[in-house]
Amino acid sequence: MSTAAQYLALSRRSVLGTIRTPIAVIPSLTFPLLFLALNSAALNRSIQLPGFPEVDSFLQFMFATTVIQGALFGAVTAGSSMATDIEGGFFERMIAAPASRSSILVGRVAGVAVFAFGQAWLFFAVATVFGLDVEGGLVGMLGLSLVASVVAAAIGALSVAFGLKTGSSEAVQGAFPMAFAIMFLSSAFFPRALMSGWFLDVAEANPFSYLIEDVRYQVIAGFSWSRLVTALAIAGALFAAGLVLSGLALRGRLKETS
Amino acid sequence: MSAAAVTWGIAERSVKLIPRVPSTFIPSLVMPVFLTIAFSGPFASLVDLPGFPADHILDWVVPFTALQGCAFAGITTGMGLARDLENGFYDRILMSPAPRSALLWGAFVATILRAGIALALMLLVGVVSGAHFRDGIVGIAALTIAGLGLAFAAGAWAIGLALRFKTQQIAPLMQTGVFLSTFLSTAQMPVELMTGWLDDVASVNPVTYVLALARQGFLGDVTWAVTQDGLLALGGMIVVLVAFAYRGMQKVIP
Amino acid sequence: MSSNRAPIVTERLVRRFGKIEAVSGVDLQIEAGDVFGFLGPNGAGKSTTVRMLTTLLRPTAGRAFVAGHDVVAEADAVRRSIGVALQDAAIDPLMTGRELVKLQATLHGISRAAGVRRGEELLETVGLTAAADRRVATYSGGMRRRLDLALALIHEPQVLFLDEPTTGLDPSSRVTIWDEVRKLNTEFGTTVFLTTQYMEEADQLARRISIIDAGKIVAEGTPMELKERVGDPTLTITLQHPDDAIDVERILMSFGEPASGSDGVVAVRLAGGSSRMPAVVRALDDADVEVHALELHMPTLDDVFLLATGKRLEGAEVPSSAEEVVT
Ligand SMILES: Nc1ncnc2c1ncn2[C@@H]1O[C@H](COP(=O)(O)OP(=O)(O)O)[C@@H](O)[C@H]1O
Ligand SMILES: [Mg+2]
Repeated sequence: MSTAAQYLALSRRSVLGTIRTPIAVIPSLTFPLLFLALNSAALNRSIQLPGFPEVDSFLQFMFATTVIQGALFGAVTAGSSMATDIEGGFFERMIAAPASRSSILVGRVAGVAVFAFGQAWLFFAVATVFGLDVEGGLVGMLGLSLVASVVAAAIGALSVAFGLKTGSSEAVQGAFPMAFAIMFLSSAFFPRALMSGWFLDVAEANPFSYLIEDVRYQVIAGFSWSRLVTALAIAGALFAAGLVLSGLALRGRLKETS
Repeated sequence: MSAAAVTWGIAERSVKLIPRVPSTFIPSLVMPVFLTIAFSGPFASLVDLPGFPADHILDWVVPFTALQGCAFAGITTGMGLARDLENGFYDRILMSPAPRSALLWGAFVATILRAGIALALMLLVGVVSGAHFRDGIVGIAALTIAGLGLAFAAGAWAIGLALRFKTQQIAPLMQTGVFLSTFLSTAQMPVELMTGWLDDVASVNPVTYVLALARQGFLGDVTWAVTQDGLLALGGMIVVLVAFAYRGMQKVIP
Repeated sequence: MSSNRAPIVTERLVRRFGKIEAVSGVDLQIEAGDVFGFLGPNGAGKSTTVRMLTTLLRPTAGRAFVAGHDVVAEADAVRRSIGVALQDAAIDPLMTGRELVKLQATLHGISRAAGVRRGEELLETVGLTAAADRRVATYSGGMRRRLDLALALIHEPQVLFLDEPTTGLDPSSRVTIWDEVRKLNTEFGTTVFLTTQYMEEADQLARRISIIDAGKIVAEGTPMELKERVGDPTLTITLQHPDDAIDVERILMSFGEPASGSDGVVAVRLAGGSSRMPAVVRALDDADVEVHALELHMPTLDDVFLLATGKRLEGAEVPSSAEEVVT
């Protein structure tokens, strides 16, 4: 089997595995939409506050956040299913097979990225029914879903690293609130212009703020190449870090088993 | 009397187990602290909206996260019960002649004790973060009644679920119930400033009135009108959910 | 009904789980002071029966009385009269032995002071005083079963249910539990309902046995009766003087079909069961035969199970070699 074919087979397994266990994807599909619905209804008046960016509605303001949040949710399942695989012995079988070892990693991560991409468009469909207008059009939406894929791949790689390191799906699930927390400590839910004090400092130090603001721009203002590239660069850097860490963790695992 | 002794015996065990199963209880303490930051930090300027009832975001957020903390601490009793039912320990308890209602009340008392820990922590968070206790001890009393009462209701919900499903896998449903009922209220905004469907839901959600009971001492003076509505809402929730738990106890021997 | 005075009575007791009929029409009557052995393979319906008798499970059909009380209508009265050690000794691993004993006493309405006194006594009896303040998670399997037993006894129950009390234990822990059960039964007259998969255990402890398979009672009686039902016991006689063998064979003709082995060993299957033993001894005495050793080989309960169900019980002892001597 060629390396490309191995990658393909393993990502297929990962995507199918996700779709075949609907219970696992329910939180990823429902929670971000629930938050979106809740915040759009609760916070819609806040867009009148002086300093709030020009938007149609809070729904439009928050939509990009919801897509990225969905990617986060979906990505953690990659790490926890990797941990479940280790617990269940799948990993040993895969090591014994003559598959390229990095394909174990890449397959898993690619699966999550594909899932996040599809999920972004599903969210787009739902939000459109509730009056969402993406200013950047389909190109802007494509940019947003690409960034979501890379973010999912990055968080997927990080949680795979964590899953490989701990070998416990519970530990990965337990670490999930961390990703959630990092998102809350950014300008994901409210504009930076309206923040002040220490929280503003935290949000400004958090790269997630810039990533979200740049993809949000595609939704609330219009398509922008430069902002898309910035967002992709931030996500890509995170992804690279995730790959290095999970590569190290995989090497550690392999040393233990062989 | 022995029914009281049983109730206390069950409650005492539950409290003793807190440090022995930290993985259930600690998150229920960390979450409200985190949510306090998450709901006050980004949204601090909401107070500038015309008609927003608080001058300072923490006065708005702390009572809410305190209630949530109490509710989440409360459902850990249900999780413990689910654990007992799953691993068979509860069989031992059920085979004893102890009155079934004493067993349930043991769990309810434990719920309130556990919620008390969360409430104490959140009061501390309130003090440290600089929330204003405008009506002093009366306001704190109102928050305490609201918090422990809501925990009682949430605990009864979780206990009822545990008795029906007898597995720890039901924990997410316990949490979802608390999440939905607390967020579909005036958690972030007063009813007057909401748009769309949420104001309809929030105005019929009893948690909205419990939240008003909890918040009043942070926003101004405690009034009887607000207190009365809050107590009625609490009473209604507790009666219904305690009945839910009692029915669960009847079903536990199928 | 006079039969209700027996501590445990069941009448056509049935329990279904969906389509599975775990217990199908079980009739039992256990007399006061008995140790009753409920013997059957895994999945036979033993635990389901115990759970119905201990008020944890409602019967689908039929009735059951424990200590004279209906297990459904008078569940509370039943609970006051029974002590139960369930299979797997479901004990909260996070609690200490002493905490569990205390909780158990409270649940049974025993006052604090009396509970403490009785608890210490019981912990002492089962040899757990030193380990009483350790969490049960650190106990061995045998320690857990012993603690379970102590918990079951806190309120001095009339009837004790033990569901597979020694499954998974090493032989020495098993013997400790057996001794404890015997002592309880003889000293306090506690009626014991014991389930087991082990022939040896039923044989050692039980005065009466019912064998259950696939939810149905397939045989019942005393261990002796059950074994006799399988076939006649084999009497092996070792003679002082091997030359007597021919004479002895002739004498034994009236008791069964004797066969001589080497070195003055004569074996016979006693046609009338073990009750014919004295007659054999008398006949040998009358003929002035000097006997070196007399051995009666009973068929095992495993043979009983085989006869009743057509299959062997897992984990049963190796069948007796008595037959080989005869042929
Ligand atoms: N709660 C239950 N739900 C469904 N089937 C059950 C349940 N409990 C027992 N059974 C089934 O009833 C049968 C008898 O089980 P059990 O009484 O535990 O057997 P034993 O104790 O003799 O090993 C088995 O086939 C078992 O699978
Ligand atoms: Mg059993």
